[in-house]
Amino acid sequence: MSFLELIPDWLLIHGPAFLMALPLIMAAITAILPNKRVAWASTFIVTAILTLTAFSIALYNAEVGSTLYKMGGWAPPHGISLVIDALNAPVIVLIAVMAFITVIYAMPATIAEIKPNKRAPFYAAFLLSIAGLLGMVVSGDAFNVFVFLEVSSISTYVLVAMGAARDRRALSAAYNYLILGSIGATFFVIGVGFLYMETGTLNMADMARILADMDGGSRVSKIAFGFIVIGLGLKLAMFPLHAWLPGAYAYAPTPVTAFLASTATKAALYLLLRFTFFVFDPSYTYVADVLMFVLVGLGVIGMLFASLQAIFQTDVRRMLAFSSVAQVGYMLLGVGIATTASVAAGYLHLLNHAVIKGGLFLALGAMWYRFGITRTQDFQGLGQTMPWTMGAFTILGLSLVGVPFTAGFVSKINLAEAAADAGWWWAVGIIMLTSILALIYIGRVLLMAYFQSPPEVNGNVVDRNEAPLMMLFPMWVLAIASVVIGVEAGVMVDAATRAAELLLGTG
Amino acid sequence: MMTETETPPVDESAADSAAAAKADDIHPAARPFLFLGKESVKRNFIWLPLIGMIVCIIIGVFYPQAKALPIEKYIPGSWAIYGFLAYSAIVLSANTLFNFLGRDEAYYGEGGLPDPEYSTDPAITGEPHHD
Amino acid sequence: MIEQVPLLAEINPGLWVILAGLICTLLPIGHARKAFVIAAPIFAGFLIFQINGLNPGAHFGGRLNFGPVELTTLRIDKLSVVWGYLFCLAGIINGIYALHEKCRMTDSSALIYTGAAIAGVLSGDMITLFIMWELTAISSVFLIWKGGDHAYAAGVRYLAIHVLSGVMLLAGAIMFAQANGGDFMFNEIGLDSPGGWLMLLAMGIKVGFPGLHMWMQDAYPKASITGTVILASFTTKFAVYALARGFAGEEILIWVGAIMTCFPVFFAVVENDLRRVLAYSLNNQLGFMVCGIGIGSALALNGVVGQVFVHVIFKGLLFMSIGAVMYRTGTAKASELGGLFRSMPYTAVFCLIGAASIAAVPLFAAFVTKAMILAAAVYDHHYIPFLMMLFASAGVMEHSGIKVPHFTFFAHDSGRRVKEAPWNMLTAMGIATFFCIYLAWPVGGYQNLYALMPYELDKAYVPYTIDHVVFQMQLLFAAIFAFTLLKRFKLYPAERRAEILDLDWTYRKMGLGIASWASAMWDRLSVQTGRLKTRVLGAAGRRLYQTFSPAGAASEATPSGLAAIMTAGLLFVVLMFEYFAK
Repeated sequence: MSFLELIPDWLLIHGPAFLMALPLIMAAITAILPNKRVAWASTFIVTAILTLTAFSIALYNAEVGSTLYKMGGWAPPHGISLVIDALNAPVIVLIAVMAFITVIYAMPATIAEIKPNKRAPFYAAFLLSIAGLLGMVVSGDAFNVFVFLEVSSISTYVLVAMGAARDRRALSAAYNYLILGSIGATFFVIGVGFLYMETGTLNMADMARILADMDGGSRVSKIAFGFIVIGLGLKLAMFPLHAWLPGAYAYAPTPVTAFLASTATKAALYLLLRFTFFVFDPSYTYVADVLMFVLVGLGVIGMLFASLQAIFQTDVRRMLAFSSVAQVGYMLLGVGIATTASVAAGYLHLLNHAVIKGGLFLALGAMWYRFGITRTQDFQGLGQTMPWTMGAFTILGLSLVGVPFTAGFVSKINLAEAAADAGWWWAVGIIMLTSILALIYIGRVLLMAYFQSPPEVNGNVVDRNEAPLMMLFPMWVLAIASVVIGVEAGVMVDAATRAAELLLGTG
Repeated sequence: MMTETETPPVDESAADSAAAAKADDIHPAARPFLFLGKESVKRNFIWLPLIGMIVCIIIGVFYPQAKALPIEKYIPGSWAIYGFLAYSAIVLSANTLFNFLGRDEAYYGEGGLPDPEYSTDPAITGEPHHD
Repeated sequence: MIEQVPLLAEINPGLWVILAGLICTLLPIGHARKAFVIAAPIFAGFLIFQINGLNPGAHFGGRLNFGPVELTTLRIDKLSVVWGYLFCLAGIINGIYALHEKCRMTDSSALIYTGAAIAGVLSGDMITLFIMWELTAISSVFLIWKGGDHAYAAGVRYLAIHVLSGVMLLAGAIMFAQANGGDFMFNEIGLDSPGGWLMLLAMGIKVGFPGLHMWMQDAYPKASITGTVILASFTTKFAVYALARGFAGEEILIWVGAIMTCFPVFFAVVENDLRRVLAYSLNNQLGFMVCGIGIGSALALNGVVGQVFVHVIFKGLLFMSIGAVMYRTGTAKASELGGLFRSMPYTAVFCLIGAASIAAVPLFAAFVTKAMILAAAVYDHHYIPFLMMLFASAGVMEHSGIKVPHFTFFAHDSGRRVKEAPWNMLTAMGIATFFCIYLAWPVGGYQNLYALMPYELDKAYVPYTIDHVVFQMQLLFAAIFAFTLLKRFKLYPAERRAEILDLDWTYRKMGLGIASWASAMWDRLSVQTGRLKTRVLGAAGRRLYQTFSPAGAASEATPSGLAAIMTAGLLFVVLMFEYFAK
């Protein structure tokens, strides 16, 4: 572990607190920075440091196992604790890396999309959102989870609304998101409140222990579970609670869409995993029933319904947004089967899908940046006019479909295998079917891009106009990552399996 | 599929005028066996299977089947009888079956009749084939 | 060789033949293609021999994983190796027989077809089996189409039926594997599950179960001369292998097989097209095999294996001799032929030997193997099926033993004076003839066939006993005597040109009639229906569009109020689930 030796010890020990404190503090500072270029630079540096920290924490975690950080030295259950374990370490890395990549991309993108006087607040909100996401992932305390959930959500509403400079519909989308997000958060906090009533603690490890002692608890904990599942379901865009998502994704500034698509719903899904398997336990019949009938049922309906909807979309970003809803269905299916292999597959799909969807939205953003493309028919001839961007889009699109040697294939095949092992053959069929549907909606765009000639403007065929390097670099990093994961999936599969073993206690 | 030397078409009417007239066309290896085509040989051929059958029935009486049907040991020449009856039944059913199942060759309008383009039948194509 | 290149032991030898076929599709040089046609089966046979030597009795290789499904693309065990050798041998003989034909399509499709059959019998799992099952159908249909324009429709029917069979096989395999915990290995299937029945039906189509047989008599006689010979070697025998592997000892097959031996003799006796007669004869022979599989004792199964082996050779020999006659005279119709022994004496001798082999005359091929199946029926007290098969044996004597050679080479002299068959055809027939005699020779002959048989017997079956020879000769002499007697009294029906109806009438005529009637009715109604159709389809499309399109209901930006109500509704659902959770 030569890399870890380079990292100072205090960072490893106080890393969890540092992860959320640094962006919080820097957000305040960034907000008042006069120069927008300095604001970008400070955000860039912060996300770079966060990435480094997240990586070292993850490596450290792989070495020493789960760690508990006590804020201010106060031991739980009275103090606030931060937990790093096999479940959240990969998510932390994911959030930090996606933030870093998005910030690189945001440099040219914000110039085109955000008014100059709004750019510093934009970066501040962005940092706040990162802080909130990281906070809700590392927190070991249910109430703090809620606090950070709200921090990230409120900053996200702001970020979405900033898309208004590009498209006024962003305002209504942000408002819609605000209302529904608040309902979700409220449901969640009500659930946490019920749990507190039942167990008398807010520390999640304690809750789990007390619930286990009470053999699942009384009707109060059942209600708590219901509220939490629905609250988080809204946040992670579980079908049919996804109404906020297409608008928010379609009209937010492009870097925000990429960041949201790859982290916000994923963090909420992480919380769902944390609560269903860690705080509660599938051995309680009410948890098992909800998993089996609600999560799987809605997941599967969502996979089919949202895939169909994606096929009919004319706006590419809405198409990908519906695709995200469908992909959440895969993850819920994996969670619902509730075997180690299936949870690992769902978790793996969470990570892979973040990489894929993030990259796809970055590519779309670059297309908007150059040609103002939002509709599918505008894709014609993009294979010639933006070959590199389209190349990345193609690789990531195929990965989304699940072509062999891509990340999407690895997680889908793992999920299918897990479903088959559990005897859920019909689910294998559904996975195949939705993959075909995905092929249709991605293929439609690819055909347009590669088999049609570029449009003519004033009698001249549109010239080649490639995206700037600072946009190409992030999307290609993600495209290559998706291929690397597809070819050499070992590390990711191991991480996902460790997480699943931790959750199901089979490790 | 057109190969080898071309010779004049086979004339159907000429063909009927006996093989003797075309003795030259007979394959050298077949020459010693031409007696097989004689009418007397054909007529008297019947004795060969009859005698063979009788001989086999007689031997069969002395060497009964090791594993036979339960009833067979009471019937000498059981397989000969069975074979004769089965064969006759099959052949005698032919006329009825033909009336029932037989149709004109152009019945389906696709098969049966050779295709002029591909057929090797001289009557259809009007040119000789492979001989 | 296999020691130096261990990879060869992982690749199904049939794939090399398929590869050769693919190369031939692009190869414009006829002689080079012919070299491939002969060399590829030899190479495959050599590889099978080598691989079989590695792990005698059970070699598994070429394992591939597709998600949860594990494929074993190569299995050479005691059962499959026989088919492997046989198909390679048949491939070589067919290749020699077709040497004169300069046709790229025939060469390549024959190779791919042969390779697919080899790969199919050597496959270890049901998915590979399915792929090869379909590939044999798709590659062989070109041989039928090569028969000319009038074969086109028959080829399409053939393809449709076989693709259907393949789909049923796959569906059955998936159902069967699902019921068995996802194990796709192709072993004993049995009829305990619906998947098993589906697979049996799929194989039944390919092997020509009564009622599912008509594709054979429809397509085979219409293929090209070489095409028919090649077709007759593989498809049905591949299916026999599948049955022997999956359904050995299923009682129902005894009766299916027994009926299958009997019904074709009645069709064969009235049929005029000798290639179609042989197709019925083929169907009848397959009946013996199916029946033997149904009996399922070691003796019966060994008999089936032996019967398959010699059957491919003598049936090929018969098709080849009639093909040679057709090549020279241009027809295979009994009514047009006769007296050809004068001009094609070698072919006549080969045909007679083939006829003797199929009729199980002592010293000729089927004598040993058919007797094993019949004996197994008697040993296991299946008397009625035994009598049916004995009846069919008399029938075989009628159509293949007497009718085919008699009306071609003897009978009334048609006056056709043609050249003897080309040297390559004679060579191919000579090789087949050699095997027909060699594999039934009492000393040092049939024992070689025994050595190939997969199952251990307590006591090897002894075919050459006086009683067996004598009783078989009784049957044959009686049949010939009946023939001459009926001829003498003019009771033997004359050969007449005609189309003999079979079950394919149901779709070629009745189905077509119904379809054309329906289409006429449809046309009449179309004025009204057209309007209705546009309205219904338009409405359906509009509904779909209205639901899913960006302007549609499902995509409408859901008002937050509605979404909130939905959330509450869902919460209610979840709470209900929890409330009633046991």
